Amino acid sequence: MTRLVCPFCGPRHLREFEFHKTVAAADAGAFARVYERVASTELSVEHWQHVGGCRGWLEVRRNPSTGDVLEIHLVGGGGEA
Amino acid sequence: MSGPEPRYSAWSLLRARLAGDGYWRPLWTGRKLRDAYDVVVVGAGGHGLATAFHLARDHGIKRVAVLEKRLVGYGNVGRNTTIVRSNYLLPENHYFYEDSLRRWETLSRDLNYNVMYSPRGVVDLALSDDDMSGAARRGNAMRLAGIDAELLDLAALERFCPELEPRRERRFPIVGALLQRRGGTVRHDAVAWGYARAASALGVDIIEDCEVTGVRTAAGTASGVETNRGYVRADRILFATAGHTGMIGTMLGVPLPIETHLLQAMVSEPIKPLLHTVLVYVFPGHGETYITQSDRGGLVMGGHLDGFPSYTREGRWDRLEEVVEGAVELLPQIGAVKILRQWAGTNDMTMDGSPIVDRLRYDNVFVNAGWCYGGFKTIPASGAACASLVATGTTPDLIRGFRLSRFATGHLLDERGGGPFPVRL
Repeated sequence: MTRLVCPFCGPRHLREFEFHKTVAAADAGAFARVYERVASTELSVEHWQHVGGCRGWLEVRRNPSTGDVLEIHLVGGGGEA
Repeated sequence: MSGPEPRYSAWSLLRARLAGDGYWRPLWTGRKLRDAYDVVVVGAGGHGLATAFHLARDHGIKRVAVLEKRLVGYGNVGRNTTIVRSNYLLPENHYFYEDSLRRWETLSRDLNYNVMYSPRGVVDLALSDDDMSGAARRGNAMRLAGIDAELLDLAALERFCPELEPRRERRFPIVGALLQRRGGTVRHDAVAWGYARAASALGVDIIEDCEVTGVRTAAGTASGVETNRGYVRADRILFATAGHTGMIGTMLGVPLPIETHLLQAMVSEPIKPLLHTVLVYVFPGHGETYITQSDRGGLVMGGHLDGFPSYTREGRWDRLEEVVEGAVELLPQIGAVKILRQWAGTNDMTMDGSPIVDRLRYDNVFVNAGWCYGGFKTIPASGAACASLVATGTTPDLIRGFRLSRFATGHLLDERGGGPFPVRL
């Protein structure tokens, strides 16, 4: 995994992006949202920010055992490149 | 050859020489998995093996098994950069790490196995007045706890580490350092082998290629573990599965405050003795390099985490570049040295950077986890304290701060002061 495809900016080097955290379940409470993480070896759903580019917030679906990126879209949708 | 495990000594070396081939036996023997145990330890890494050793030696627990999915020492105990130190700021941390460092000092004798503890010093370099204030604060906190720490100005640093040439012109000039002389390195594989050998000699069953796939419960307590070799009954279960503890939480239905990140290390081709200590260099804005020279001559280096959850055990390339850039800036004379190998370990990062040693969901299920990037250096203390918790059911004072409930009650051990994220560069 050396680059991510930003929906606005296209393929960019991984160092432009900053991982934030795994996405909490919709019904998660405040404590879970701050401190707990969703662990999976197969599918990790994460928030990232394109800090070195458009600064957009991205929802990234990855397989953390292989490094394959399955899907990236803007949080809240819209703005497809 | 049968008979008792030979105790290593100058005399046993001589006898082995005279006896010729066949004198030495495997360090731990292939045991059969039994149906039931007093304690099942999951994970034959440093923490699991050390805990099993202390359960058998200090608490007289007879039936202990260590179940390992792959091989003894396959995980982080064989993937770290071998550094040991106790230069922490917070009391809960520095007393614990100091207990560990004291145990490192005598571990070779305790295990009758040479783990090659080398107190070559750990030097945290300061690049600004702010860094020096931080180093002084941390050093003072350590000294108040009776731990050795020395604040070095440039002249003192030059005397201690002339190969660094601290006064050389650099992009980020060095202004001083915090030195812990008793810190240093330990031969990491020998730690796994030494604990495995000592535990095995005390009757602990070490079972490799045995993956735990589930926990069977009855009436609110755990009754045993499901494995790829069948069901094993257990009175108590300890998970010491660094790098996969988040998945243990998922398996037990307990989300944990843990993210699993990769931490890379790399080693250069062997060169003649150049660096006699451990240098830690956090350079402003773009990374970190720590570097030491192994006894074989390779320069062993590491840096920051990769920065996102991963189980690939392949590090990201730009991080490797950063670490090497830092090393070359620190020691320009190594600029032409080639990197020989690079690898990565999976680190269970907690939300405050401190470990979790506690019960997990059931009264008889324990977890020893979240060592972040400090797992190797804590093995001896963790083994002793965790064995005490598992054997007696009471949390020893030394690890009282490492309870899982601290995240909910707000008693975080946030050594870095970085908030509920394991990584912020």
